Amino acid sequence: MLRGLAGDAGAYSQLLTLMSRYLRGYFGRRLGAGAAELEDLVQDTLLTIHLKRETYDPAQPFTPWAYMLARYKLLDHYRREGARTMVPLEDAGALFATENAEEGAVRRDLGKLLSALPARQSQLLRDVKITGLSMEEAAAKSGMSVSAVKVSVHRGLKTMAKRVRDADG
Amino acid sequence: MQTGELIAILAGAAEPVPPGRARRRLLLACLAGLVGAALLVFGILPFRHDFPRIMLTAPFWMKPAYTAWFAVAAFMLVDSAGRPGAKATTGRMVLIAALVAIACLAAINLALTSSDQRVTALMGRSAGFCPIAIVISAIPAMIAVMVALRGMAPTRLARAGLAAGLLAGGVGATVYAVWCRESTAAFVAVWYTLGIVACGGIGALLGPLVLRW
Repeated sequence: MLRGLAGDAGAYSQLLTLMSRYLRGYFGRRLGAGAAELEDLVQDTLLTIHLKRETYDPAQPFTPWAYMLARYKLLDHYRREGARTMVPLEDAGALFATENAEEGAVRRDLGKLLSALPARQSQLLRDVKITGLSMEEAAAKSGMSVSAVKVSVHRGLKTMAKRVRDADG
Repeated sequence: MQTGELIAILAGAAEPVPPGRARRRLLLACLAGLVGAALLVFGILPFRHDFPRIMLTAPFWMKPAYTAWFAVAAFMLVDSAGRPGAKATTGRMVLIAALVAIACLAAINLALTSSDQRVTALMGRSAGFCPIAIVISAIPAMIAVMVALRGMAPTRLARAGLAAGLLAGGVGATVYAVWCRESTAAFVAVWYTLGIVACGGIGALLGPLVLRW
């Protein structure tokens, strides 16, 4: 972005291409992959990034800035639609099926956070929150009581949330 | 249009952006607001004949110093409100510092005033008039700052409007302070702050209406 701001067309086009991929994932997960307006929103946001690039402060990280622009465009889109469009149930599979770079990065971060927890806690979190076992199933699997599982999951989530906050702040 | 084409077009239009262009435009808006407020205040209100004498006293400078300080803080807030994802921490600290400073001055002022004079110190002679005059003096700055801010990229419109209103109020009050005859810190702490905050409230209401881009 810095070189783009300085007028380096090559770097700038590289950045926009990369952003278009992220944006497609971002909007895709919220509107349903393959939504008709998806590409419009991506282009709209790219254009916004271009037109509003002077409001990017080089001292700040680039991603939050671009993310806020994308969010603004998305809210704008919802407002124009009048109400949040419902995703038909048959298409819901597509929502979860989308794999993309951004999601990969999120998953990697999650793995890092989980591995920082005690082994049993992270296994429980994986079972309950990612694999989708019920508390009872997780309890049976680990040989702990249900309430102990609940407490452990809760503590694990709290530790992770705190770690994310510390890393951000 | 294919996204690839769009990227090619945008990359072709990637002329360098001078850093700080947005900030400069915001500063320009403040100057326009200052001039507009000066025209309003000195055009409508009667001329002060004691101006040269009073200009040399400390209380005279206390008022514009406070409001200008306030305006500087609000300027930082507006600048960060116009930049998506920017943190407003510094602006907020400077703003709080201004409020603490004037509150301390006001407390000292009231403590040094004999108890039967305190109400006069607080109310002065223009308590009801002052906040209204500040709001009116802030109108030109309000318009100019809103236009400048809209050219940036505010994403939280009410909050951005609040910051813009405070900035306009600070600019308007700074001009009005030159005319105003009150000289006690207690008066400034209450009525000037009230006028500026009223501008902020108006700005917060206007924000979602006029700042959309």
